Amino acid sequence: MRSGQSHAIRKRMKQARGSFGVRGMDSAWTAFDVVTQTMLQKAFDDPKTVDLEKLSNAIVDQSLKDLSFCKDAGRMCYAVVQAEAQKAATSVFRRNLLTRLQQEFTAREQTRNRSVREWVCLVTFICSIFDYIKVNNAPLVALVDPVYDCLYRLAQPDALINEEEVDCLVVQLHRVGEQLEQTNSQRMNQLFYLLRDGFLLQEDLSSMTRLLLLEILEFRASGWTLTDTAHKYYYSEVAD
Amino acid sequence: MSAHQKNRYENDYKPDENRNKGASRWSHCRKRGADGSLRKSHAIEEPGKCSQHSGRPESFTTPESEGPVSRVKNWGDEVEAEEMRSNVRNDMHRSDSRDSRDSKESPAKGDIETDETTLIRRQKQINYGKNTLAYDRYIKEVPKHMRQPGVHPKTPNKFKKYSRRSWDQQIKLWRVKLHAWDPPAEEGSDLQQIEEIDLGEIMDFELDVECSADTESQCPTSSGKSLSLAEDSFTGTPKKMMKTEDAEMS
Repeated sequence: MRSGQSHAIRKRMKQARGSFGVRGMDSAWTAFDVVTQTMLQKAFDDPKTVDLEKLSNAIVDQSLKDLSFCKDAGRMCYAVVQAEAQKAATSVFRRNLLTRLQQEFTAREQTRNRSVREWVCLVTFICSIFDYIKVNNAPLVALVDPVYDCLYRLAQPDALINEEEVDCLVVQLHRVGEQLEQTNSQRMNQLFYLLRDGFLLQEDLSSMTRLLLLEILEFRASGWTLTDTAHKYYYSEVAD
Repeated sequence: MSAHQKNRYENDYKPDENRNKGASRWSHCRKRGADGSLRKSHAIEEPGKCSQHSGRPESFTTPESEGPVSRVKNWGDEVEAEEMRSNVRNDMHRSDSRDSRDSKESPAKGDIETDETTLIRRQKQINYGKNTLAYDRYIKEVPKHMRQPGVHPKTPNKFKKYSRRSWDQQIKLWRVKLHAWDPPAEEGSDLQQIEEIDLGEIMDFELDVECSADTESQCPTSSGKSLSLAEDSFTGTPKKMMKTEDAEMS
């Protein structure tokens, strides 16, 4: 891989890494129209006065369209869930959100067939919800298998040839991989068998894809962290 | 059958058409196959078959089994159940660490109710009572330290050992007492209240039935068990809007 091409690839990985960080809610906010923004603001102040079902649908709809939004949508949802729990002692928003999410999850294969972008948004959103919304500080057990199901799908050969899907896969594993493994390590092992097989055996993968897969394989092997050497290899600028 | 039961959870939100990963997904979690022999770990098993070696479809049932398992559990329900369970567990730990100052309130170490099913059922019954405007008004009006025993209703302690009948009766009496704080009756009072009257049946955890609007007509006739003097006030207890359980009922 020591070629001019690898420089470009590593630069791109560095940029991708930057997006792992948590961005402010401001950018997520501006994605909405004024009506929804108002609803959202009211939901924080006085949840009882807001149609929370409508709000949750608005958030889900936006997430399925907008990849940059859905990364942080989980945080926004969590904020609403908290506000409702504290101010109204109800969990209507969370319930509606989960129901809608479940519908979308159930229809994921059709979604993927229709639009890979939407499918990728869906996975990103589900993982974001899994990441942010907890129950008494524990992850949502109900979402563990669905998240795995999504990741397994992304690890299939027909998905690995799409860089868009591979990108999603590795980003989500960086975000929630460790938590996921804690809730069910068997399925994580299984997933990584698939990734390793893909990396070693699948012939039609792009160099970028291979690099991404190698990185995630090493990442997990080092205990969900990047060793210095690995960081240097994958993310440092190489003077050509 | 135990393998079947163990897989039930993982089965639940897989849509039918996406079962191709079914066999491999959890079969590696099991040390023994259905025939009891140790399994060696497979990578991928025959797709399209469920996890059973016998190749039985998931809908196969025997009289002893739990019956056809609903394939799709509602995530909203599951999360709420999770939340209740962990709340109950937190309660239990909190009550464990109480010191002797409260010893007259909390039961002796050996006499604590620990069965999770029971605790959850009791917590549900308590939640129904706390999910009323009457309770809200009560706790605003009478701070805890001002409560006089006998006069002011006290939430039954779910950790104490009681018989089922005793507990249900305590709940009933507690609910009746709370009615004293009902907001002034408005016309067209919420008919949803009727579902809570028949505590003996409705509060049964296993049934987990809340009377919907459809069964409103049935409830009054079956409310013969309820205390007759409080019957009017039962129908008058307004409920808080949009509480968790309501979403299930409506």
